[in-house]
Amino acid sequence: MTPIPAELRARIDFLVGQPDSLCELPVPVFAPARLAFLADLSSQLMQDVRHLDLPDVVTFAFWCRKAHLARIASAAQDDRLRVGLGLVFHICPSNVPVNTAFSLAFGLLSGNSCVLRLPSASTPTLDILLAAIATTLARPEHESVRSAVALLRYAHDDEINAWWLSQADGRVIWGGDATVAHMRSFPTPARSREVAFADRYSFCALGAPAVCALPEAELKGLCSRLFNDLYLMDQNACSSPHLLAWVGTATEVEAAQARLWAAFEHEALARYTLEPIAAMDKFVEACTRSVQDEEVLRIHRHGNGLYRLALSGLHSSPTTRRGHHGMVYEVAVDSIDAVAPWVDPRFQTLTYFGLDVALLRSFLVRHRLRGIDRVVPVGRALDMGMQWDGYDLMSCLSRLVDIQ
Amino acid sequence: MDLSTITPYGLASADKREFLGGQLQQLTDWHRANCEPYARVLDRLWSPSPAAPGLEDLPFLPVRLFKEMELLSVPRSDVVKTMTSSGTGGKLSRIFLDKATAALQIKVLAKIMADFIGPQRLPMLVIDSRSTVSDRLKFSARTAGILGFSMFGREVEFALDDDMQLNLPRVMRFLEKYPDGPILLFGFTFMVWQHLVLALEDLAQHLPLERGVLIHGGGWKQMLAQAVDASVFKARLAQVAGLRRVHNYYGMVEQTGSIFMECEAGHLHASSFSEIIIRDPRDFSALGPGQAGLIEVLSVIPRSYPGHILLSEDLGEWGGEDDCPCGRLGRHFKVHGRIQQAEVRGCSDTYTR
Repeated sequence: MTPIPAELRARIDFLVGQPDSLCELPVPVFAPARLAFLADLSSQLMQDVRHLDLPDVVTFAFWCRKAHLARIASAAQDDRLRVGLGLVFHICPSNVPVNTAFSLAFGLLSGNSCVLRLPSASTPTLDILLAAIATTLARPEHESVRSAVALLRYAHDDEINAWWLSQADGRVIWGGDATVAHMRSFPTPARSREVAFADRYSFCALGAPAVCALPEAELKGLCSRLFNDLYLMDQNACSSPHLLAWVGTATEVEAAQARLWAAFEHEALARYTLEPIAAMDKFVEACTRSVQDEEVLRIHRHGNGLYRLALSGLHSSPTTRRGHHGMVYEVAVDSIDAVAPWVDPRFQTLTYFGLDVALLRSFLVRHRLRGIDRVVPVGRALDMGMQWDGYDLMSCLSRLVDIQ
Repeated sequence: MDLSTITPYGLASADKREFLGGQLQQLTDWHRANCEPYARVLDRLWSPSPAAPGLEDLPFLPVRLFKEMELLSVPRSDVVKTMTSSGTGGKLSRIFLDKATAALQIKVLAKIMADFIGPQRLPMLVIDSRSTVSDRLKFSARTAGILGFSMFGREVEFALDDDMQLNLPRVMRFLEKYPDGPILLFGFTFMVWQHLVLALEDLAQHLPLERGVLIHGGGWKQMLAQAVDASVFKARLAQVAGLRRVHNYYGMVEQTGSIFMECEAGHLHASSFSEIIIRDPRDFSALGPGQAGLIEVLSVIPRSYPGHILLSEDLGEWGGEDDCPCGRLGRHFKVHGRIQQAEVRGCSDTYTR
């Protein structure tokens, strides 16, 4: 590939990969060498995190274990030929360090060579990932993958950004609206493609009768799954719910709320370590909402771990009402249809419980919604995969070759 | 409110609770009736209080709320003075005073000060520059503090030049002018450290301030960054200036007047007009002595704005009540410092420029 200009190279720290041996040539999607590398990376990570409390790394390692990759590959493949685009440049997110690994895996599995700009802050997750990637790549059997990976660090430097963007056949931009807009300001090859992760909004819909009818043991499980969706990323992930729409009659909803939250407080909330600053932020936000948000009727506190803000209805867009560290807005609706008028392209994930998935599908189609890219059961809000944010990443990052 | 019969550190626990409880309940009712935003917060966030509420049951606001919105309980036309404080995050806190509240601030502060320096006004040396108070563009917590405490001094002199250099000849002239009797010194902790203690050490000079009483406040953040704690601060002050009567105070612009003074035993004290409650950050339950948590401050002063019961962003613990060796009654406590900003997890703003 075109050599990196020397003055830029001097400002780039190559953590993994060599600038001179980088090869931008594509391979077919789900190439055996790539599958083998990721499977070995998975084993390496599993070993490395044995004694560490890094659930995000475990999640990634579990996702790219051999059997699971084989399943993804066989589900995605048909007789047609798909090859990578070539060189894919990734701007990785600092606040969700593990997504760096997912981004790399998606790019490799789609047949590309990947250059990743890593977040400047070093975190335990990122350090473990970097070490494992380097170790695995160094094995002789992964020589062919070695030239397809470069992990870089450099200070905010638009000259370097501009250079990679001018070279890349594809770009994966994490980091929300501001980063996406910034990266789009640079010239890119006419045929290049983009996967851009913008700011999103997610919510949860719960069937009140189903919650009421749930056996005690399963109620615990539901609490635990809801807890994961809300708390594992402090509610800051784009797929973390902010609104809980309860579907049912007023009486059903009241009964279901009483049941769920009592169990939730008892079963799940104790697992959360709340920083004093987060407790204060929530308290300030709750007071501010009490004063300034006419639609907030009442605020229920479960210790400081969970604040529930009861809305009088859906009279305005819920997207401005976001909670963090365990702060949810709740509304009772007769039917999921009540949410439809507010769904805009910003909506990403709908997590659900106790609602018929066929009904949710028809809700999306019937209202001709421009948002909602994921409909997943409660507990899977944060499950990253190759279908994400409305993209089929394998398709986006590869070319389909029509051979007749 | 008639304060003349109440001594600042003379109310034992039960009496103080009765006095404060009554005052604060009245203030809560007053603000609920006269400040709509306050009433909205209480209605949405608080359950009705128990029949006989204790101090711990009274609703509190986060002190940061005064940075988010304007809160006042009197007609705007009654406001005679607006106080501001910056602090963390850059947003301004705006505190509205009417005549009665402003007067009460002075009355209460005078009572507290008299207990430490006596009722008479003392010659006063400010460890700061004159421009801090004269330059209206630089109005800050420091300005407010200096102006507030200046009421307890006379013949106020400034120890520092506008470039924050210690002006030794001026200080010496001041001391020669008042050769007998105590002298009041006032300054912000970091200013005193940087521009008095370190400046004197650099010059290898000693100031004869044995008869001085130093009142200092403003927080320890910058001091702790230099690994200077209260004992180091005091030891070095004694060394360079023979200063032994040194009183830190804890207070905030949102409750000006009812400051918490440090006694001879090194404890910060709540007065008869104020109280301290320590709350568990996990659920805001009130904690007992020796347990660290968020500091809630209560004051009988704020009437023109709903700031009589505030949850601060400081961590601390209370040590005991009515049992300080200094003889002052009431709770005494320690401040550990500001709560820490957390690292944010999430999807957005990864490439903030």
